[in-house]
Amino acid sequence: MSNRMIKRHEGPAILIHWFNAIAWFFLLATGLGLIDNPALQPLGQWWPEMMRDLFGGGAPLLKVHLIVGVVWAGVWLIFLLAGIARYTLPFLKQIMTFKLPRDIQWMIKKNMQMTMGYKMMARLVKPMGWDGKIPEQGFYNAGQKAAAGGMIAGAVVIVITGFIMFMSKVYLGPAETPLVQWSITIHYIAAAVTFGILLIHIYMAAISREERPAFISMFTGEVPEEYARHHHRLWYEKVEGRS
Amino acid sequence: MEKKLAMVIDSFACIDCKACQAACKEANKVPVGEWRNWIKTPDMEAAAKKGGRMLFQPGNCMQCEKPTCVEACPTGATYKDPLDGTVKINRELCIGCGQCLPSCPYGARYRHPELRVADKCDFCAKRRASGLEPACVSTCPNKARVFGDLNDSTSNVRKLMKKDSYVQVVNQETNTDPHIYYLGDPGVTDWPVKAQMPSAFAFWKNLAGPAMKVFVGLSGLGVGAMLLKQFVMPGDAPLHEENKGEENKGGDDHE
Repeated sequence: MSNRMIKRHEGPAILIHWFNAIAWFFLLATGLGLIDNPALQPLGQWWPEMMRDLFGGGAPLLKVHLIVGVVWAGVWLIFLLAGIARYTLPFLKQIMTFKLPRDIQWMIKKNMQMTMGYKMMARLVKPMGWDGKIPEQGFYNAGQKAAAGGMIAGAVVIVITGFIMFMSKVYLGPAETPLVQWSITIHYIAAAVTFGILLIHIYMAAISREERPAFISMFTGEVPEEYARHHHRLWYEKVEGRS
Repeated sequence: MEKKLAMVIDSFACIDCKACQAACKEANKVPVGEWRNWIKTPDMEAAAKKGGRMLFQPGNCMQCEKPTCVEACPTGATYKDPLDGTVKINRELCIGCGQCLPSCPYGARYRHPELRVADKCDFCAKRRASGLEPACVSTCPNKARVFGDLNDSTSNVRKLMKKDSYVQVVNQETNTDPHIYYLGDPGVTDWPVKAQMPSAFAFWKNLAGPAMKVFVGLSGLGVGAMLLKQFVMPGDAPLHEENKGEENKGGDDHE
């Protein structure tokens, strides 16, 4: 068995990934801290109280959330524009290339396998005329593509609604307040949806044993050949065919 | 000791001279077109029923005991100060979303056109800090407006409330327990306007909030199930025959 390593991620992509991770958790923590209303706060009032103690009050908390939010969106914008040919478009192409029957089958089988094991999965999908094999996947599997799509949509909505809220105190008049009000609600929904996806993403990367090589590749940029062949067969074949 | 600042207003003493409104505008630099206080005049028909006597209802933010504006504020920028019982606005934390405006049944709030934040009567916090009474109280020629601390049994408001019968002007469906008490006859005591929760707020509170909890909860449940499976079946491996010789020698699962 070869232990050869295959290049999977480039340096700038790894950097923006970890920048995003840190900024995202900071914004999540401070953003939840800004919800100081028992009817809306999902964690309980201890969270906004703790965050306000930490940052010296609600007003500095808002300021910090806003500044980090602008930096987060700004760095992303620069990255996406500067890397449009090298990273942005290829990434979008990869996550938007669906092989529908195969991907749907993958989604169903993989979810079953991850929670019940191969045996149970094979038994359950048999009536559908499927075997116990998990369909081969490209650079990203169907789950990763769905997660990426969800997170991109979430981020776009978060940035737009965040911008509207920022403009509220800078430019918008009383007639636009309903827009600001809905922006607050939608900002929360988008963050919550992204967080739900993020839980799965973090489990896969940091906790799941199967995907451990992928986690390590987010530091080194490389995956073992064996991992590539088993988890991203179609991508592996393409890479091997080229080299 | 904690205070509970309030006003007692003698409707019979009010002559609708609007001095309180002018004084307030001046003292608080209230922007053009906005008012922090008012004198309501019940309609003439109602007045005719009461023997032709005009009744006046001076008012301003009532620093309610159960303020619906505080309930409608997502960030806590509008809050009830536990030290003096007034409803305050943290202008730095307010983003001017305006959800507190319709949630006040009395229409006591406006969006400040230059600062773009919610604004309202604060019982003249600045004047009080230098030992003065609120401008409307100081200026009232008939002493219709009286200001003081409900928690202080020697205060003027408490003395007046002990001496006379008083009423609150409230909407029965959204009773906020306002801290303005009327002596005499303020005309109408059933306030016609209800506190309105803005639709975006109601949607978040009643639908989006619970739905997001369920969504994140399901996601967490899925992660929990995968984690459990990882412990229960550490050697779970593919069943299929392809490349059998090479696969899963470590007992790790793949694909």
